[in-house]
Amino acid sequence: MISTSTRTISPAESRTPPPPLLSIERVVKDYQTDGEVVRALNDVSIQIEPGKFVSLVGRSGCGKSTLLNLAGALDFPTNGHILLDGVATDSLDEKGLTQLRREKVGFIFQSFQLLHTLSAVENVELPLLLAGHRDPRPRAMERLTSVGLAELAHRMPHQLSGGQMQRVAIARALVHRPLIVLADEPTGNLDSSTGTSILELLRRLCTEQSTTILMATHSIESAAFVDFMVQMRDGCIEQIVQS
Amino acid sequence: MPYSLLFYRLIVRPVFRERARSLLVILAVALGVSIVLAIDLAGNAAVGSFRSSMESLTGDNDLEVTAAGGVPDKIVGQLATLTYPLRISPRIEDHATIAATGETVPLIGIDIIAEANNVSTQQIEPLNDEGLKHLTDPDAVFTTRAMGKSPGAKISLLINDQTHEYTVRGLVPGSSQFSGNIVVMDIDAAQQATDKKGRVDRILLKLPGQPGLDNWQQRLRSALPPGLALNPQGSQTAANRRMLAAFRGNLTILSYIALLVGAFLIYNTISVSVVRRRTDIGTVRALGASRNAVLIAFLAEAAVFGLLGAAIAIPLGRVLAIGAVRLLATTVDALYVSSRPGSLALSTGSILIAFVVGMGVAVVSALSPAREASMVPPTQAMGRGQREYAIRIDRKRDALIGLSLAFAGGLAALAPAIGGRPLFGYLSAILLIAASALSIPALVYWCTSVASSVLQKIMGVEAMLASRSLAASLRRTSVLVGALSTAIAMMTSVGIMVGSFRQTVISWMESELPADLYLRPAGDPSADRHPTISPAFTERIAKVPGVEGISRFRAYEIQYQGLPATLASADTNLPRHREPSSFLSGRPAADVLQQLTAGDAAIVSEPFTNKHHVKAGDIVTLPLGEKLVSFRIVDVFFDYGNERGFVILDRSTMLRYLPDPAASNLAVYLRPGADLEFTRELIKRAAVNSQVLIFSNRDLRREAIRIFDQTFAITYALEAIAVIVAVMGIGGALMSIVIDRRREFGLLRILGATTAQIRKLILIEAALIGILANIAGLALGFLLSLVLIFVINKQSFGWTIQFHWPVSVLLFALSVVYVATVLAGIYPARIAQRLNPIEVVHED
Amino acid sequence: MRTRFIVLLLILLAPGAYTQDYKQALPGYQYQFPRDHFNHPDYQTEWWYYTGNLKSADGHRFGFELTFFRQGVSRDSNDATWHVHDIYMAHLALSDISGRRFYHDERINRAGPGIASLDAASGAVWNGNWRALLGDQHQSLRAAEERFGIQLELASTKPPVIHGRNGVSQKSAGVGHASHYISFTRLLTSGEVSLNGTRYKVEGTSWMDHEFFTESLGTNETGWDWLSLQFDDNTEVMLYRLRHKDGSVDPYSSGTYVDVQGKSVLLSAKDFTMTPTGETWTSEESHGKYPVQWRVTIPGLSLQADISTPLANQELASRIGPTYWEGAIDISGQHAGKSLRGVGYLEMTGYGGSHSWGANRSNNH
Repeated sequence: MISTSTRTISPAESRTPPPPLLSIERVVKDYQTDGEVVRALNDVSIQIEPGKFVSLVGRSGCGKSTLLNLAGALDFPTNGHILLDGVATDSLDEKGLTQLRREKVGFIFQSFQLLHTLSAVENVELPLLLAGHRDPRPRAMERLTSVGLAELAHRMPHQLSGGQMQRVAIARALVHRPLIVLADEPTGNLDSSTGTSILELLRRLCTEQSTTILMATHSIESAAFVDFMVQMRDGCIEQIVQS
Repeated sequence: MPYSLLFYRLIVRPVFRERARSLLVILAVALGVSIVLAIDLAGNAAVGSFRSSMESLTGDNDLEVTAAGGVPDKIVGQLATLTYPLRISPRIEDHATIAATGETVPLIGIDIIAEANNVSTQQIEPLNDEGLKHLTDPDAVFTTRAMGKSPGAKISLLINDQTHEYTVRGLVPGSSQFSGNIVVMDIDAAQQATDKKGRVDRILLKLPGQPGLDNWQQRLRSALPPGLALNPQGSQTAANRRMLAAFRGNLTILSYIALLVGAFLIYNTISVSVVRRRTDIGTVRALGASRNAVLIAFLAEAAVFGLLGAAIAIPLGRVLAIGAVRLLATTVDALYVSSRPGSLALSTGSILIAFVVGMGVAVVSALSPAREASMVPPTQAMGRGQREYAIRIDRKRDALIGLSLAFAGGLAALAPAIGGRPLFGYLSAILLIAASALSIPALVYWCTSVASSVLQKIMGVEAMLASRSLAASLRRTSVLVGALSTAIAMMTSVGIMVGSFRQTVISWMESELPADLYLRPAGDPSADRHPTISPAFTERIAKVPGVEGISRFRAYEIQYQGLPATLASADTNLPRHREPSSFLSGRPAADVLQQLTAGDAAIVSEPFTNKHHVKAGDIVTLPLGEKLVSFRIVDVFFDYGNERGFVILDRSTMLRYLPDPAASNLAVYLRPGADLEFTRELIKRAAVNSQVLIFSNRDLRREAIRIFDQTFAITYALEAIAVIVAVMGIGGALMSIVIDRRREFGLLRILGATTAQIRKLILIEAALIGILANIAGLALGFLLSLVLIFVINKQSFGWTIQFHWPVSVLLFALSVVYVATVLAGIYPARIAQRLNPIEVVHED
Repeated sequence: MRTRFIVLLLILLAPGAYTQDYKQALPGYQYQFPRDHFNHPDYQTEWWYYTGNLKSADGHRFGFELTFFRQGVSRDSNDATWHVHDIYMAHLALSDISGRRFYHDERINRAGPGIASLDAASGAVWNGNWRALLGDQHQSLRAAEERFGIQLELASTKPPVIHGRNGVSQKSAGVGHASHYISFTRLLTSGEVSLNGTRYKVEGTSWMDHEFFTESLGTNETGWDWLSLQFDDNTEVMLYRLRHKDGSVDPYSSGTYVDVQGKSVLLSAKDFTMTPTGETWTSEESHGKYPVQWRVTIPGLSLQADISTPLANQELASRIGPTYWEGAIDISGQHAGKSLRGVGYLEMTGYGGSHSWGANRSNNH
């Protein structure tokens, strides 16, 4: 990871660094609210290697959610570029974006966002079904097993606890083997012990499957699980701390 | 919390935010109320203020003397020489068609000279001194001022089957009792022109003040021969009004069905809005608003919608009424009695009804959702799943209640009529509709859960998601399906009834119209007008080569037990006996007709038996000429030609009592091998001096079906409106579904769904609703059609209708509805795909 | 307007309109009774005119008039029941002299199916339910309306009188300006008068005129005054005085004197005087000024009589015909030296100014 302030490259990193999965270059994001222009991100640059668990921390309004949305191509920068897997997000058309979402990006939300009309395993297999897979059930079950919820496969969301729901969401986010998972406050609606277990799960999955995870969070406790912590304030990156 | 602030936050702001939804509710009320209003106004104009056109210029008389076949002249002389100080006005009453305009107007003959004795009736005004000299000329007529004739002007009039030129000699004064055109003649000229020698149609009597009416009626009754009817003046109007009251009642019920569909719509949209405003409600409650306050707030909103909707409905209903009046007038004319529709009057009463109905429907429909809103706890609402689960339990209970209601409905259908109205039939229909509404959740749930996996295999993941979604929001889905299926059921049931009726009429005509050609006098046909064809003409036709025989049919208007009826005679010695039976007993026609020629025997129509509760073997006593004659009913025949009761005698029997040999129409039988068109030409040439219309058998059937279709035009119109309203409701509801689930759609997009997939999902939801509604609608429609045909129709009109599936019509109509439902989903789908995923997902 | 059209249908039709179809009253007519008591359809106008003075046992005095008119309109051969050949009018009036009120009613009808007509076989002449039965010896009258009615039996005491010379009563110069005029000059009357619910048994004397003609009047005559006098010495006098537009009296004015045996004597214009003596009565309805006091002298018979009326208002303001005054009168005078009294009837026509339409039927004094 290369930040705005140069760092010396450590010996462990003297091999040719892998090309960054996510490259955020001089990104500015402005919003129009009530006639005023609010600058959410002010000239932010960051590059994230594949397989890293990175958190964006800061208070509300610091821009971490905005940066997350831009990274996931849910939104687009006012100035600057976001390159995901070498492709600029704002160069993609609808078809390209859909492709992106089906293949490269997974999302996890604070409020879980499961479809309450589908069972746990049906929620997990949904992205594959949408993409046209014929028989996604085995893979979905496999994903559910990897988050430890195989026995609850046929429960409906309202029959699951918060933590269980988030696990299902995580399974769903990973079912299509994305390159990067974007997690927006994944522990925000969970108590501290459940939240910790979710962070553990994310840590494990990131390591096991070399999936990059970019997580926006309030919680300082997450520092223990992530590879890098990017501290933000007022739309700028204050510092990047490596764990 | 102050009510105004509550109302603002909870009601006013959301209403303006969701302008489209609010507009939809207002429109739903407006449409439903406008239909009710339109039917009420049109019914009033066409029927409610029914006044026989013959009541014009009747003045303030007390009694009238009438008789089948006319009152003999000499009765006037007898009455005039009674030592009672009576004022006597004899009248000829008939119709004339103005050749120039084709308009048919009442033709009234009065004793112009004797009318000078009557101070209170209005007098004819001669146009000038020349006119005075010609007042009693055989070609003198008097017209209303509105007809704009100048002194000495000529006017060509068609009376019965002859057209002659008459000269206008004076003006008929305008009358507040009757507006419109009439032609008046001196009684002598009128008698000649209408060929009513030796009789008059009515004698009006004004009595002195003392003693009372009953006393006079007794005295005069004993002075008159028994066959004559002595009644208070206006009894013809009263009888016709009675008959039309039932018709009006049916119409009103029909209009309220339209309202029902609107009510469904309102219920649904308000329910949806309650769901949407959950958070607002929770917040408001947390700030201190009580349950009742929330309830009242939502009811108040509904009331305001009702008010606005009613306000729109009033001009809209007025406009709709114009078209409705025309349709109704045609029906009344064809089935009942010649009438002249009055003006459409928007009374304060009707306006009040509109507001009450509009607000009432809105508030009643909003009751349940409003109650639900008031039960939202003062914290953030829980996920939807919890609530829907509670619904699932009710589903089975509701279905059971529905079944028992259906059973009750079946029982109600077996009950007889009350006062000539099929009240139990209506009850049965309502019970069936309620049963259907209650069973729909079960139907929806069963179909969607069963079909979910099947659908996924056939139509992909979108179909699965769609069916799951429908099953999950069972309450809302059920209401949508309920509304649409009710509209479909209405359309189907009426369509089946009309189709069956139509087919029955067609089959009936095949057996009832065996002749090759039919002749009747030109001029507007109407249920109670019987212009005649002269005997000389009939003889001429009989001589035309190719004609084997002629059957002469003659009809008279009579009153029987306070209701109008038609007494007719026909030649029963027909040249060819090729009629299959169309009698209730099932006996061959030849046997029945044979019985008619012996003694005083009659056959009566089915509507007659229904109205007067008689059957074969009973005796009816009818006034004929001066006598009261008793006839034995030998059988009952089916008659779909009109709704009046018919009594038919053999011609020879009729001539014994009413000797006028003229015919109302002729049925001509051709020799075997005679060419139809050629003979028709010959007849036309023989008819050159008479105004007579010639119909071939096929023409007649086509004409009859044309009148039939015209008569039912109004039902078609009502159905179409019901379906439009329902589909609009679907469109609106889909819109709110889309808006309500935009978060979900956003999520799907994030999960990799294309906009095309979102669109497909919504369209499949629309399609599923459509299919379910069609299935439920067809089933309910079938049951309703049974009630309509075998209970409501039979008890109202007395017709036996054979059940037929009008397959092509149904298929066409159902496909139209189905396509419309899907099309209704297009716009919402377009909205859905335009949603920006990021915005919706993060809405919290 | 509306009354005008009826009026024109009646006696005052434009001269020559229909009259060419009818016979004129000419000298030499052969009278035959009872045949000539009834209808003469050959002649255009005909009437049967009853007037009388009646008194009840308790002294309640009445006068009555019942008239049946026939006006011919067409003589074509159309025999349809309602076809108008003749128009029939009738007047009925009751002078309640004791009660000082005058009542009248009128009607107009066509023959139609027996609404109005004559029937020689039954002896009846009727219009609606007003009826007279005619006979040489005996006649009956029956007529009523809502407020009053009469039912009277009339017995002839003298044979019918034919007025005029040679069987015609000439009204003005020229052939045909005349009528055939028959009277029963003294009919003993008894019967019943009902008035506003009360029935009175009455007795008295009546007079009956029967005239038939076609267009008797000349064009410059505005009206006439007619008197029937029944003296208590069992003699009668009939006089009529035709007036011109300029106020002068027509030389064809004439009269008849009937003696005790019933023999009649013609009185020509120079044989009598008949003059109003001053008192007049003006009608509120028609604004006509009627002289209600007269003096009659017949020098040749040494007869003078003063005529007055016990009830000034006996005007029939008609809706459907001309307005005229017809009322009971009292006579006091002298005949051949002896003083006499009597009763009778006076008729005055042509005094009405403008007609008032829709007039009340009963005229208060």
